[in-house]
Amino acid sequence: MDQPLKPGSASSSPAPAPREDTASPAPAAIRQRSPLYFAWRRFQSNKAALFAGGVLTVLIGMAVFAPFITKTSFTAQDFLTISLAFPSLEHWFGVDDLGRDFYSRIVYGARVSLSIGFIAAGFSVLIGIPLGALAGYFGGRTDWFIMRVIELFSVVPPLLAAMLLGTLTRGGFLSIVFIAALFGWVQVCLLVRAQIKAFREKEFVRAAQALGASPWYIIRRHLIPNSISPIIVGFVLAIPLAMLLEASLSFLGIGVPPPTPSWGQMINTGMSFMFFYWHMAVFPTAALAITVMATTLFGDGLRDALDPTLKGR
Amino acid sequence: MIAYILRRLVSISVTFFIVSVLVFLMMHAIPGGPFDAQDMPLSEAVRDKLMARLGLDKPLHVQYLSYMAGVLQGDWGVPYQSPGETVIELLARAWPPSLILGGLGVLIGVPLGILLGMAAALKRNTWIDYLASAIATLGLTVPVFVISMLLILVFAVWLNWLPASGWGEPKRWILPIIAYAAIPLATYARYTRSAMLDSLNKPFVTVLRAKGLSERRIIFQHVLRNSAIPMVTVFLPMFIGTATGSIFVEAMFRVPGLGSYFVSSITTRDYPLEMALILMITLMFSGAYLISDILYAWLNPRIRIGGRE
Repeated sequence: MDQPLKPGSASSSPAPAPREDTASPAPAAIRQRSPLYFAWRRFQSNKAALFAGGVLTVLIGMAVFAPFITKTSFTAQDFLTISLAFPSLEHWFGVDDLGRDFYSRIVYGARVSLSIGFIAAGFSVLIGIPLGALAGYFGGRTDWFIMRVIELFSVVPPLLAAMLLGTLTRGGFLSIVFIAALFGWVQVCLLVRAQIKAFREKEFVRAAQALGASPWYIIRRHLIPNSISPIIVGFVLAIPLAMLLEASLSFLGIGVPPPTPSWGQMINTGMSFMFFYWHMAVFPTAALAITVMATTLFGDGLRDALDPTLKGR
Repeated sequence: MIAYILRRLVSISVTFFIVSVLVFLMMHAIPGGPFDAQDMPLSEAVRDKLMARLGLDKPLHVQYLSYMAGVLQGDWGVPYQSPGETVIELLARAWPPSLILGGLGVLIGVPLGILLGMAAALKRNTWIDYLASAIATLGLTVPVFVISMLLILVFAVWLNWLPASGWGEPKRWILPIIAYAAIPLATYARYTRSAMLDSLNKPFVTVLRAKGLSERRIIFQHVLRNSAIPMVTVFLPMFIGTATGSIFVEAMFRVPGLGSYFVSSITTRDYPLEMALILMITLMFSGAYLISDILYAWLNPRIRIGGRE
């Protein structure tokens, strides 16, 4: 990993092409295609990822337009008459043990799961980029220190630490986001670090250094724009991890507190009812499985498309 | 090599120390104590005496130092939730069910995963390959409690073939073992497939074919051996991962193993048990990574003979 990129492997992967600042006029005869075009072509050829992207779009649509596609609120109760009713035309996914429309709760659960996934992934990127850039650009002592911190994160089981932190902060939306970001930045950091390490020795960076550009300027102006593919990849791969963490903690009862609909917490409740009221267990389980799988497949496809050299990592 | 191992051991001890301080502080920062009034209606005097006996009235750094002094001598303290035994005795009692189920799961999952990965690599882009990828993705992305739930729903609730939960006769072990096997199977299917595809494209395979070696010998003697290194090195960390997986599997299948103590030690502020569980898992992960790295270097002739980098 410490070796500079071999010339052969660099030229065979069109995605991380250095972006020069001087607009060199391309010869008119040759039609230029952007790296993004090739990435899109590669992504299109991955049918599973394309399908997963479609599913993910539908899920995001569900989450965004939740109030418009549900008839009742996710807290509206009709406890005495219909609680635990099976799926019907009136209540598509049945009614839960407290008399709430289960379809509404599943749809609003998508809101919780996806928003935690996206926000936590965003924070992971915000933490991971500067640390990865520092480690990759400066190397030496800085790199050593950041790598030791990452090593610490790799030996502590994230779930156990998250359980401790979850109890410490008493759960809740924001603290789950914070905990997920705390464990999500490591991968982003490693991806950015590897990319910046590979680009640090390139001519255009040398040229910028020779012109007296400050390290911070070079990182901001040259290296981070060139790391955009690993950043996108890191972001997309962090989403399912955050969603899983939320679901796991909520399943254990230390995640998002009850009135908020969370699939993990619904699965836990469904467990006690599954022998007699199957809908209580089936729908949240299926919702969580479909969402996490769609996000992961989409992320894998994006990774393979944006940077074929990362494949299988 | 020895210098490398020593350096790693030093780094593991530093990690161990940092983790122990962090966990100790976080644990005590959680509001409430082990003998709070709502859980245990004790008189003021009894509670004070209890706290004094367990050393909980002393300042935190004194508590930490005396705890760590005990740990270094092999004394992990007494769990508050079952004061009749030591932490070690409790673990010796609770770990075997988890180890049996997790170990059997790994033992079944790994060979199946390797077979599946081999089939996928050899029959690339056929339905076998797609099926293997689907299984691998399912096992690696879907959380283990969702897999457990699906297993229970299908085999216990709908088909009524197997009991859903409990511990005792081996019939009750089948579903939890399958749940434990999901991650090893998926991991190995994926690793084997990509490692074999990697090796199959190497020039040495063409040479072997050109000299007329049978396809079977090429696969089993050469390709598989060449792809074995990553498969050996992921084994230990994955095996230890079953310990944290037990939290969910055992909650779903109501197995009286280690899993439930992870949660209960936190919720009841059982400080000694909580520290012991997290520190032991951390130590085991560090040890597993160290052994994996040594194995990696030892199995790879390029490193073993050429010296490290």
